[in-house]
Amino acid sequence: MALNTGKILRVNLTTGKVTTESVPEKVAADFIGGRGYGVRYLYDEIKPGIDPFSEENKLLMLNGPLAGTTAQAVSRWMTCTKSPLTGTFTRSVCGADFGAWLKFCGYEMIILEGKAEKPSYLHLTPDGCKIMDASGIWGKDTKVTQEWLVARHGKNTRTACIGPAGEKLVKYAAVVSDRRTAGRGGTGAVMGSKNIKAVAITASRRLFLADPEGYEKLAKQQVSTILGNGGFQNHKEWGTTATQDITNAIGIYPVRNFRYGQLVDYKPILGAEYRKLRVGDIGCYSCAARCGKVHTVTSGAYAGAHSEGPEYESIWAFTGSIESDSLEASIAADQLCDDLGLDTISTGNTIGFAYELYEKGLIKKSDTDGLELLYGETAPMIALIKKIGYREGIGDLLAEGTRRVAEKIGKGSEVYAIHVKGMELPAYEPRGAKSQGYNYATASVGASHCYGYAAQDIFGAPFPHPTDRFDEGNADIVIFNQNETAWHECGIACAFSGGWGWMDIFGKLLAAARGIDAYAGAELEKAGDRLFNLERAFNVREGFKRKDDYLPTRIRTEPLHTRKAKGEGQMVSHNDAFLDKYYGLRGWTKQGVPTSKKLKELGLGFAIKDITAKRK
Amino acid sequence: MAVEINIPPPLQALAEGVNKVNVSGSTAGESLRELVRLYPQFRDKIFTQKGRLRSGINIFVNGKNVSPAQLARRVSAGDKIHIAYTILGG
Repeated sequence: MALNTGKILRVNLTTGKVTTESVPEKVAADFIGGRGYGVRYLYDEIKPGIDPFSEENKLLMLNGPLAGTTAQAVSRWMTCTKSPLTGTFTRSVCGADFGAWLKFCGYEMIILEGKAEKPSYLHLTPDGCKIMDASGIWGKDTKVTQEWLVARHGKNTRTACIGPAGEKLVKYAAVVSDRRTAGRGGTGAVMGSKNIKAVAITASRRLFLADPEGYEKLAKQQVSTILGNGGFQNHKEWGTTATQDITNAIGIYPVRNFRYGQLVDYKPILGAEYRKLRVGDIGCYSCAARCGKVHTVTSGAYAGAHSEGPEYESIWAFTGSIESDSLEASIAADQLCDDLGLDTISTGNTIGFAYELYEKGLIKKSDTDGLELLYGETAPMIALIKKIGYREGIGDLLAEGTRRVAEKIGKGSEVYAIHVKGMELPAYEPRGAKSQGYNYATASVGASHCYGYAAQDIFGAPFPHPTDRFDEGNADIVIFNQNETAWHECGIACAFSGGWGWMDIFGKLLAAARGIDAYAGAELEKAGDRLFNLERAFNVREGFKRKDDYLPTRIRTEPLHTRKAKGEGQMVSHNDAFLDKYYGLRGWTKQGVPTSKKLKELGLGFAIKDITAKRK
Repeated sequence: MAVEINIPPPLQALAEGVNKVNVSGSTAGESLRELVRLYPQFRDKIFTQKGRLRSGINIFVNGKNVSPAQLARRVSAGDKIHIAYTILGG
């Protein structure tokens, strides 16, 4: 059986040279695919200290070894780069069909390097890749862009593109495919900095598997397991459009820029209310969950708004952040962000922050282009989203993200900026779910809920052991969740599918795709630890230290107000003690630097010299 | 010694913060029905109208997910049942 390590399409946008190469066997064995490949290539090919918008940065677009096959929930894809928002390693996961289409052309990775001389897009087919003129779509939103590319290249075309936000280098601009986004970390801005509007792929289904027969048997077993699973059925029913019912009930729904954990009255935004406006479902390639719920607003100020979404995070971003109970406004805001190509989490968090600055008198009407940023008012929120997307007026400042806005404004505004490493916090209040919060603090990319989701704290999951959500001592849980997420994303297995009863087949599917012996559970866990440590080495090499692993000042010094829920008065008070324990378990120094022993144990000896100087 | 049922945070909110209840039962289903007898407000959250486990709920016995047996899984005194939601956030 021939080994299938995955092929790379390398595009030098400066010279126009397009080449292909295979992933070396050792890299495939140690890093498996997906996010593993992403960090390995970025670590090797990007020098520390580069400007993320410079030609020296690279944008990787990756699928996984299982993409494009009949197995369920394994065709997602991701962008990897050095983030302009945080300066860290970043990865951002996306759905729809693009990951499968990339595999149909035979690739697991596109590496975009250099910078095109003028606005361009790539058109990829199984026969090759051309760099094309994008003057017809530069400036257009993501919906129009994708329609234009289908009209030009045919209905078997799938696209990953940026909107005006990416072109304007908004620090949290997203890459959009269909109506899904690679939202976090500003990877869309990196694409825009390379003058690349889109990657369009025209292809028909082809598989690249080392053992097709063996794979199909396993895939049938996986599909049967998933379709019968209650968690899958629930996810198919609701997606994440009812999670706010739970997070409000337990007081971890951040409201008014993380001052409260519950809306005063959250009944208007319950999942059942969003259900009334649902008009359809969409999903990713080869996933029967179809968890993307499509909504249309038929009356009121936002009549006509139509969006695939909002998902839970976006529901929160455009209700909790500004203490609004208008689900119609949240649908309109979600649509706008998708069209402009913006990360909804950073957008909503930044707007909630702006509302607090206005409340405190740190910005005035003369600064906000006449807008009155009053909590509860949705019209200013919609106006600000447009301004951010086009970097107009105050939008130009807000497009920089909360950390830089606070640095520019000063006057004590830093305490209102709710971010870690520059990435804005998502929709779970850390003071009411502390393992979730400490995942935000220590995740490689900044505050990402997806990097090590603490289902133990929020949903009562009892593995590897149960937690008390107010307990700050669960460093082992944070590491377990982060490492598990890491090896899942080598696949790239959808994060929701991890609980659908099929992960015992995951290693066997990878083996059949690659043509190797099956990965045992321990090998997968080690791979997850390996790539997490390499991400840490990347960040240490960039100058990140222990001081960057702290939750925001508000979370550590102000008591949470949960209104009617449990947890009133909670704070995160033991960040130092947590980090001592976390670093110890990780095998890192007291400054959070991986030790030589740890790096050797994981086969990362090549990184030792890079970070030796940083170990002090 | 009874069977201990651990209540997840979203359901604790319905029972004034109670996070653990001791019940008797020879199966997970019997134990959960005993729980619902003590806290009727849990009924619609755990069971469908036909008495089946709701699709968004997982049952763990001594840390092990007991799908697909779920309610028929036998339990003994000293066993710990955890009720957990499937991951819903994103």
